[in-house]
Amino acid sequence: MKESILLAYKKRPRAWILNLAIFIFIVLIFIASTPYIPYKGIQEKSISIAYSILYGITQPDFSYFLDFSKGALPYLLLETIAIAFLGTLIGAVFALPFAFLSARNVVPKWMAHVGTFFIAVIRTFPAFVYGLMFIRVTGPGPFTGVLTLAVSGIGMTAKLFTESIEDLDMGIIEGLDASGCTTIQKIRYGIIPQLMSNFLSTTIYRFEINVKNASILGLVGAGGIGYPILAAMGAYRWKDAGTLLFGLIVVILIIDYFSGRLRKKLATGQ
Amino acid sequence: MMVAWFKEVIFPSPLELANGKIVKPKRSPMVYVLPIIFVLILISMEITGFDFMVLVNRGYQFFVIIGRMIPPDLGFIPKVIQPMIETIMMSIVGTLVGAFFALPLAFLSSDNIIKNKIFLWVNRFVFSIFRTLPILIIALLAKYVFGLGSFAGTVAIALFTWLIMTKMLYELIETVDMGPFEAVESSGAGRLKAFWVSILPQILGQFISFILYNFEMNVRSASILGYVGAGGIGLLLNEKLGWRQYDKVSTILLTLLVTVYAIETLSRAIRKKLS
Amino acid sequence: MIEFKNVVKTYPGNVKALQGVSCQIQQGEFVAIIGLSGAGKSTFIRCINQMHTITSGEIIVNDENVTALKGNDLRHFRRKIGMVFQSFNLVKRTTVIKNVLTARVADMSLWKSLLGLYTKEDKILALTALDNVGILDKAYLRADTLSGGQAQRVALARCLAQKPDIILADEPVASLDPLTSQQVMEDFVKINKEFNITVVANMHHVDIAQKYAQRIIGIKAGKIVFDGPSQSLTNDDLTNIYGRSLQHDEIKGLE
Repeated sequence: MKESILLAYKKRPRAWILNLAIFIFIVLIFIASTPYIPYKGIQEKSISIAYSILYGITQPDFSYFLDFSKGALPYLLLETIAIAFLGTLIGAVFALPFAFLSARNVVPKWMAHVGTFFIAVIRTFPAFVYGLMFIRVTGPGPFTGVLTLAVSGIGMTAKLFTESIEDLDMGIIEGLDASGCTTIQKIRYGIIPQLMSNFLSTTIYRFEINVKNASILGLVGAGGIGYPILAAMGAYRWKDAGTLLFGLIVVILIIDYFSGRLRKKLATGQ
Repeated sequence: MMVAWFKEVIFPSPLELANGKIVKPKRSPMVYVLPIIFVLILISMEITGFDFMVLVNRGYQFFVIIGRMIPPDLGFIPKVIQPMIETIMMSIVGTLVGAFFALPLAFLSSDNIIKNKIFLWVNRFVFSIFRTLPILIIALLAKYVFGLGSFAGTVAIALFTWLIMTKMLYELIETVDMGPFEAVESSGAGRLKAFWVSILPQILGQFISFILYNFEMNVRSASILGYVGAGGIGLLLNEKLGWRQYDKVSTILLTLLVTVYAIETLSRAIRKKLS
Repeated sequence: MIEFKNVVKTYPGNVKALQGVSCQIQQGEFVAIIGLSGAGKSTFIRCINQMHTITSGEIIVNDENVTALKGNDLRHFRRKIGMVFQSFNLVKRTTVIKNVLTARVADMSLWKSLLGLYTKEDKILALTALDNVGILDKAYLRADTLSGGQAQRVALARCLAQKPDIILADEPVASLDPLTSQQVMEDFVKINKEFNITVVANMHHVDIAQKYAQRIIGIKAGKIVFDGPSQSLTNDDLTNIYGRSLQHDEIKGLE
């Protein structure tokens, strides 16, 4: 065999050492975590409960869907969508100033840091904490849900808005500047076309999340279908829980489908 | 001023360019989208009982709790550390387990690898249904199976991560360069082997990014897990909220903020190194 | 030996790529396939290792009816056939040696290939293959740092590491500049002679095909319209294959 090939073989990088180190590190983390995550076995009734829920979801009681009175399934779903819709819109409106104030290409750097920090603080509060705070203002009910989703959505929405603003193509605006455009025209032709579709896309995405988050609102009694689901599960009414969940899943699937298509359209610009 | 501004946005006037050409902007779809949104807002306000006056009259109540949170009870920090570590451990283990199982499922859900359309369609549909379940419901179900405590919370995080990461991964896999895969397949390797040596190296960096991103998300959502009794910092948060010890609540939130910030900084550094 | 027996390939939408092709290629031959794009050159090549399945007819490779192969048997058969592509098809984000080693996974057990446990023999084989195409010194560089010519040599080394009887090349030099094209083609010739490996290559440029291949097969609209030694190819034959006189850049790839 040729000398040069053997030499090259000897010089091979020992990648496996790093891989092994990473593997051992992960194993160590798992070992270290065991005292924090004690396994206490499976609950006695767990199989039958899991079965009941699955049964409820797969065999929903369709008569629920025909009851159009207030507080019945269709109304709860409508209420959930309404809460998510208003909450998302208000959240997006409030996110706008935060987003512009933390975009590094709009404000000075220190200002952007302050803005980013503020967004991080808003994001740290879990949604149900906002829920508890708003309940003092508006009492239990869907109104509280709207405010909760609005405020808890500001953080993520503002962060994504900021990213779109920072991705702005400034060349276009300079070009408009050079052709003697007024500020309004610059905003109309240079900035809005670039930002609008991104902002809309983010807002629609947040709407999706907010419909899913409706169950969290149930924790604090802030309206929507969340509370009835949690109550049914808490009282071991699995068939009810399954049917309500089925309703929510169907609504989420429909919304996901249309918002996915809409966002694809916005992204490709058609 | 505002009116003119909105008019300009919705019914833009023609723009004359420097070379004398007149650009007539296309009529924006806003012309019919805005009225629809307006009507939807009115309907939603009716359904949710939205009342602006309540906000004006009682809005100060919101700041009552905030006021009680300040100043945070810093002496409480030592009692927060332990549950915080528990939360981090739950998130690490849950995220890693979820990611571990996401890779094979993503493999089975990518339309450029699996050519059986029926299998692909059924597989994706079933898991898109599971994906609609909020983490709160998953945590509740885990609690019924594994009992109160952090093990149920870890299972919930793992399941949730598994479902989300699978979708992120297969969407990524569908964008990779299939040339190397074809080359390895043409040498007589099966699809799994070909995937492993030709596609995995292409997605590995992104995959690690996803893991870090999900880890951040999971530490954040830990508070909700505690609410249903699934362990971690959320349990403590829930307790202090129940007792209305808001200065301790703010201490917990402060710890969470610092932790999340540290994780974000660390993961940003790792991601930078990867790319 | 590769034998086509009245092979027909029809794509969905009634697009006829091959319409009754029959021919024999002996072990160790260097055959270039020429013709207009869309004439069926690529289909011809990809039918041999069943990357495309044919509609009717038979393809026999080394006494084996390829068209009947499925699953494990098909994969086993493909191990003896290397393939080179116009766009090199390397994994760019990993090293050259790892790219060459991917040729070995087909022979390995699943768990060994998942863990990346290549044997010393595999690694020596891969390095030898790189040495054969003259880029041993690039073994531990990332594939995305290579030039086009080097990348195609790595792809060729990947084929060699498979220890193939046949190498199929789908427009191997179409994305390379003329000078690099010649160097890569010389590597093909060297491998063809040294290891008696059959080479079947689609060629875009007629002069390169003529210079390096021993035999030329001209395909027009899914049918073989010329098959003979490359010296015997005349201008009339070319006009027949391409259906018109050739433009300058179609003949000339060599300057």
